[in-house]
Amino acid sequence: MQTDKALSVVRAPSRLNKLGKRFVKNWQLYMFLLPALTYFIIFHYIPMYGVQIAFKDFFATKGIWGSPWVGFEHFTRFFKSYYFWRLLKNTLIINVYQLLLFPLPILLALSINEVKNGAFKKWSQTLTYAPHFISTVVIVGMLVAFLDPNTGLINNIIGALGGEPVQFMQSPGWFRHIYVWSGVWQHLGWGSIIYLAALAGVNPELYGVAKVDGATRLQCIRHISLPAILPTIVILLILDLGHFMSVGFEKVLLMQNTLNAATSDVIQTFVYQSGLLNGQYSYAAAIGLFDSVVNVILIVVMNQVARATSENSLW
Amino acid sequence: MKRKTGLVIPLAAMLIVSSACSRDESKQEPGKETNKPSSNVNESGMPIVKEPVTLQFMTGRFSGNATDYNDVLIWKKYEEMTNVHINWGLVPFEGLTEKRNLALASGSYPEVFYTARLSNSDLNKYGSQGVILPLNDLIDKHMPNLKALLDQYPSIKKGLTFPDGKIYSAPTIYSPDFQLVLSNERPWIRKDWLAKLGMDMPKTTDDFYNYLKAVQSTDLNGNGKADEIPYSDPYKLSGLVNWLKGSYNIGNRGGQHQFVDVDPKSNELRFFPIDNNYKEMLQYINKLYAEKLIMQDVFSVDRGKFKSLGDAIGSAVDPDPVAEFGPSGENFAPAPVLVGPHGDHQWVYQVSPLAGMGGFSITDKAKDPAVAARWMDYFYSDEGAKLFFMGVEGVTFHQTADGPKLMDIITNNPGGLSLAEARKPYLTWGGGGYPGFVKQGYFGTDAKLPKLSEKLLEPDLAKDIWPAFTFTVDEEKRMSALAADIEKYVSEARDSFITGKTPFSEWDKYISTIKGMGLDEYMKIQKKAYDRFAAAK
Repeated sequence: MQTDKALSVVRAPSRLNKLGKRFVKNWQLYMFLLPALTYFIIFHYIPMYGVQIAFKDFFATKGIWGSPWVGFEHFTRFFKSYYFWRLLKNTLIINVYQLLLFPLPILLALSINEVKNGAFKKWSQTLTYAPHFISTVVIVGMLVAFLDPNTGLINNIIGALGGEPVQFMQSPGWFRHIYVWSGVWQHLGWGSIIYLAALAGVNPELYGVAKVDGATRLQCIRHISLPAILPTIVILLILDLGHFMSVGFEKVLLMQNTLNAATSDVIQTFVYQSGLLNGQYSYAAAIGLFDSVVNVILIVVMNQVARATSENSLW
Repeated sequence: MKRKTGLVIPLAAMLIVSSACSRDESKQEPGKETNKPSSNVNESGMPIVKEPVTLQFMTGRFSGNATDYNDVLIWKKYEEMTNVHINWGLVPFEGLTEKRNLALASGSYPEVFYTARLSNSDLNKYGSQGVILPLNDLIDKHMPNLKALLDQYPSIKKGLTFPDGKIYSAPTIYSPDFQLVLSNERPWIRKDWLAKLGMDMPKTTDDFYNYLKAVQSTDLNGNGKADEIPYSDPYKLSGLVNWLKGSYNIGNRGGQHQFVDVDPKSNELRFFPIDNNYKEMLQYINKLYAEKLIMQDVFSVDRGKFKSLGDAIGSAVDPDPVAEFGPSGENFAPAPVLVGPHGDHQWVYQVSPLAGMGGFSITDKAKDPAVAARWMDYFYSDEGAKLFFMGVEGVTFHQTADGPKLMDIITNNPGGLSLAEARKPYLTWGGGGYPGFVKQGYFGTDAKLPKLSEKLLEPDLAKDIWPAFTFTVDEEKRMSALAADIEKYVSEARDSFITGKTPFSEWDKYISTIKGMGLDEYMKIQKKAYDRFAAAK
């Protein structure tokens, strides 16, 4: 009754009208959505009002609203900065590098899926997940220890083979490889979980039928497993692109020194240095905002591409 | 010397965002002085207040100090004397910069910053915004001891005063005749190795090279392995650079000026990282590095690792090898300033007596700034310095014929604790950065090696050591943008030239890059600050 009354206020049956009806009908379901929605509003939308300091000269005493507007001054400064191109280049290269290794967890998932020995399968899964739970600080500590030019395992091996010790941590040439491949080592197993779940959903009869038709293992993977997880792959790829530009900040910072800065200086460490350490909040906010804008553009473009080339997309 | 910490960042980022929105945006007139003391405050003498009050501090903590200052002997004693209780708000030095900047940006800062390493730029910025109170009137009215010191040393007062005439902090002052603290890091060479090699203490940069070469090729520690490290320091090679600057006549205005000094020929202000002498110095260090006479991973080594290398190091720059390596540090002897290729030799690695300005500042949140000012002022007196550096008579020090001496409980701990460990429950001056007056006689150090070094370096001491410059707010704004690029580039290029990643054939490109970053404007601002400083002297 009440709802009828409320609805009659809206004259033409509109989309809003329909939504209202649906809401009333399924309000319990919408209530489930509420906590997540509240979280996003409080922690991701409300803080956005602080973004305006990128266009202001932030004064602690005057607060966010009270600080004077300066327009695009901070952006101009960043674009003109000597470091702009280096930062952009380093950030992009690290990300593209990481992205190129995107298929590795899929390969792992496919191979684990092929393993028939249950115990071995469980073991290898556990072994590959485990590093995911090590904290970044410890990982970098391990890298430093293993790659130490005098006492590190890797350099000892190089030495035993008659080579010269390599200054891994101080070399700009090595930084990207160490960063990306240690990341692969750490997150490979974890990244494969979703694919394994998707593979578990494939009807086993399909494999049976294929075998009867004389398909080899590789053919099974090619024609059954892969198509089955393709939607998952596309969605995860797009989601990954959403994090594009946001490299694992702490890890870069911990691995950074003046010698490898030529390749390890990325936008986010620069934001940290100018914002938190040098207290140039507005400048740092401007750089951070630039970073986010690039991110949004990338994800929108990628989504369009995905929609055009396959039937899957985020929206 | 900067340490990096990655742990706190995500949390910090969340904090800045969440606290920024909850911030109460009450406005405060910049430069407002609220120093009408309440009736609770005694004008002079102890206690400072009649009824106990509590002050909210933010305090930088050195990792070797106690984790709760209210359990420390001197602070318990001082609370009894003053009736002022302190909520210390201890923050480890490692994460201090972030924490402090977040507190300031979000408005949740304390009444007082203590040992919080505020930079001149911070003081200027937050001073002009009204967050940090000017102390001029407070010093005149409530800080007689500091006032007396500033009157005694006008150059310190000038260095402490910002161009707008305001003083925003109570400084760290090192007594100008107390050389031991003015140069903290000193050069050392293994005397037992010199003896084994049959060499004399190196006098010139060439001698030093020969010594390093000999260390490299001789199995001096007799373990059958060529694991001797001819040179290393815990400062990512800045130790060696600062030692050698005097041999090439650059950086001659001291450690607080890492980029400008005075050209000895023209007597003009000079940006020395583009000077030819600087290039020669880098070439010399590059030669050492290329021949592996410098520990190859010196740029990524932290203090902990450096400490563990102890016995293998042939020479180093460090405050005190005994404190660093334990008894085996006794093998080191102080090294002199090396005579450079053009006959230059000066010791420039000193700070000015105005060693730091960021030790103590009062914010606009202080309910009664006079209380905080009086609380601090005591430590500029002899009595206060004694309390701060030596503790309580009969507990940690006793009077002797040569003045106060720390007692065995600290210097020769019966439980076998090292000096730093033994003083932990009693004193908090470890780590430096504290505001106050450091002078001979009260500063409880009996370190033998630094004293020898002091004597050795004395004839070469650079005479004109400057404190850090102060800028106007507008200058500061330009300066922070210019310096961010230029100084970052110079530091990175320095290490890159030293390690040979950038060949010296690119030296001209290096200079033109710096010029392209706005060096002229940078120098113009430095010049203005210098002229103000010179005029004030």
